[in-house]
Amino acid sequence: MLLKLSWLNIWRNKRRTLITATSVFFAVLLAVLFRSLTDGIYDNMIHNVVSYSSGYLQIHQKGYWDEQSIDNTFEEDNQFYQKLLENKNVTHIMPRLQTFALASWGTKTKGVVILGIDPDKEREVNNLHEKIISGNYIKDVNDKGVVIGEGLASQLNLQVNDTLVLLGQGYHASTAAGKYSVTGIIKLGAVELNNAVVYMPLELAQYMCGAENRLTSISLMLDRTNNLESMKRSLEKTIDSEKYELMSWKEMMPELHQFIEVDSSGHYIIIGILYLIISFGLFGTLLMMIFERKHELGILIAIGMKKHLLAIILLLESIMISIIGCIAGVIAGVLIVKWFTAYPIHLTGEIKQVYEEYGIESIIYFSSNEKIFIVQTIIVLLLSIILAFYPGFKVMRLKPVDAING
Amino acid sequence: MKKNVFLLYSIGIILFITPLTSIHSQQSLSAKEIVKISDENMRGNSSQANITIKIIRPNWSREMNMKTWTKGDDYSMILVTNPAKEKGTVFLKREREVWNWIPSIERTIKLPPSMMSQSWMGTDFTNDDLVKEASAVVDYDHTLLGQEQISEVNCYKIEMIPKPTAAIIWEKVIVWIDTIDFLQYKAEFYDEDGELVNIMTSSEVKVMGNRKITSQIEMIPLDKEGNSTVIIYNDIVFDEEINENFFTTRNMKQLK
Repeated sequence: MLLKLSWLNIWRNKRRTLITATSVFFAVLLAVLFRSLTDGIYDNMIHNVVSYSSGYLQIHQKGYWDEQSIDNTFEEDNQFYQKLLENKNVTHIMPRLQTFALASWGTKTKGVVILGIDPDKEREVNNLHEKIISGNYIKDVNDKGVVIGEGLASQLNLQVNDTLVLLGQGYHASTAAGKYSVTGIIKLGAVELNNAVVYMPLELAQYMCGAENRLTSISLMLDRTNNLESMKRSLEKTIDSEKYELMSWKEMMPELHQFIEVDSSGHYIIIGILYLIISFGLFGTLLMMIFERKHELGILIAIGMKKHLLAIILLLESIMISIIGCIAGVIAGVLIVKWFTAYPIHLTGEIKQVYEEYGIESIIYFSSNEKIFIVQTIIVLLLSIILAFYPGFKVMRLKPVDAING
Repeated sequence: MKKNVFLLYSIGIILFITPLTSIHSQQSLSAKEIVKISDENMRGNSSQANITIKIIRPNWSREMNMKTWTKGDDYSMILVTNPAKEKGTVFLKREREVWNWIPSIERTIKLPPSMMSQSWMGTDFTNDDLVKEASAVVDYDHTLLGQEQISEVNCYKIEMIPKPTAAIIWEKVIVWIDTIDFLQYKAEFYDEDGELVNIMTSSEVKVMGNRKITSQIEMIPLDKEGNSTVIIYNDIVFDEEINENFFTTRNMKQLK
């Protein structure tokens, strides 16, 4: 009865209803898009950073992370790769051998990070070959050349086709030393990597270190939107925890994780202000409605309508309007986000350069994580319900005589 | 009568002198001299040796074969002959400099002072141990602490405290040198906090190159459990003349 009454009521004045619903609609839409955008940017940033560095998840020999020595390596195992790839959420795996060494050219010597990589697997993940600024990318695992970071090349004053001398400690205290022709110079966004990285075909790195068929890590790439923690838990079941350790990028790069935490707390303030504006907009329309219907409400009370029933009707009206607005907002939000996921915004001009300096794709992604839609809708709905108590409160205090005469 | 007096005198003198000489042979060997004899016994004027080095770690171990040449305190050369991957690597010590020739990169590297305290070829010895800049005889003050049994051999226990002028990282070193052959059986190295850091033990006494030497030396760092390095002398020749020109950076590259 009350439901029907309020349903009819809201359609009595269509324009008023539409205005209120529209303000809710925009509130939801804005909140959803804002969260989707910021989350999308973070996801993209994380994706880019981890694709060069650790991967979302990384498997090591147990104890490697605490003592990152080449002695803490494990055997390559194709069956193990297959097992990892069986998990549908794992999109790529990158076997790597990472070690430290001294690199020398001419009279200059620098400490470097050697990354023995599978060039094809890396290319699929992070388009490493596109970052080459001179020379060529590594052709395959048993190629004989190395690719070095642009910062390192300029510090050593080295050009493509020069011979880089590497000297370090190899597996089980052997000497890792060798001369390698530099086939390419690569420009990476991450400054510390750009200044110190030597990419080597995996087999060459293994031979140099005397660590044949051994790896320091397997990096796992997941789908951008995947839930990291639950993935980690499910993968932990498939690997031998006595032998391996599985770590997420949050554990391996706490500074990036903390940066995002701090940065997104700034976004919480912005979104808080957004909610405030939304609330006042809603409140304004509600206030207007009460004012317009004062006369009508006064008469209803005068002819014997119970005040609290009237308050409930008004509350229901507000909730209905909010729900209509929310549903429309979510539908529009989903459509817009879907559109931008399919056709992401490509930045141009200066911003593009800034992004590329940091090695992040100059593309704005929207996160299509369903959590955003649900959470934002619920927040706006709750806000509008709380605000809808105001008309009810007003009705309870309404003096019919004043209302009719006023 | 005269004869008797002479005899008495003679007996008197002999009786008087005998204890003196026996005192002399034991007491006059100061701690410093003991260390010196021991040091010279192991070193000789020059030596050539084939050695095996075993690196022992909790989860793995590794063996290397080397040839060494030494001449006095100042010159030595070490050539790695096995494993194949490192074959041809040479370390040269000339006075206070250490050079390293690495054939795979065709480079001669002079080890900087900053690398002296780092591990030598992954062993528990440091580059500094190789150079032995400090002389066990000259750079320490020695005190005889007494005698002790080490693996059923009677040894002098000698405390060696570095002279203030010597560049030695130890606060003190205690060595055990046996009383008969003057072989060093054990050494303990204490750091500046007085804590025992390394123990070096020697065993397997053999006659090699006409000398009695301890053919196996084990270095045990106490802060790393399960780690040790063993040097085994397979054969050694002492006092065979080696020309000084042998110990040059040029010769490093052609050494076989």
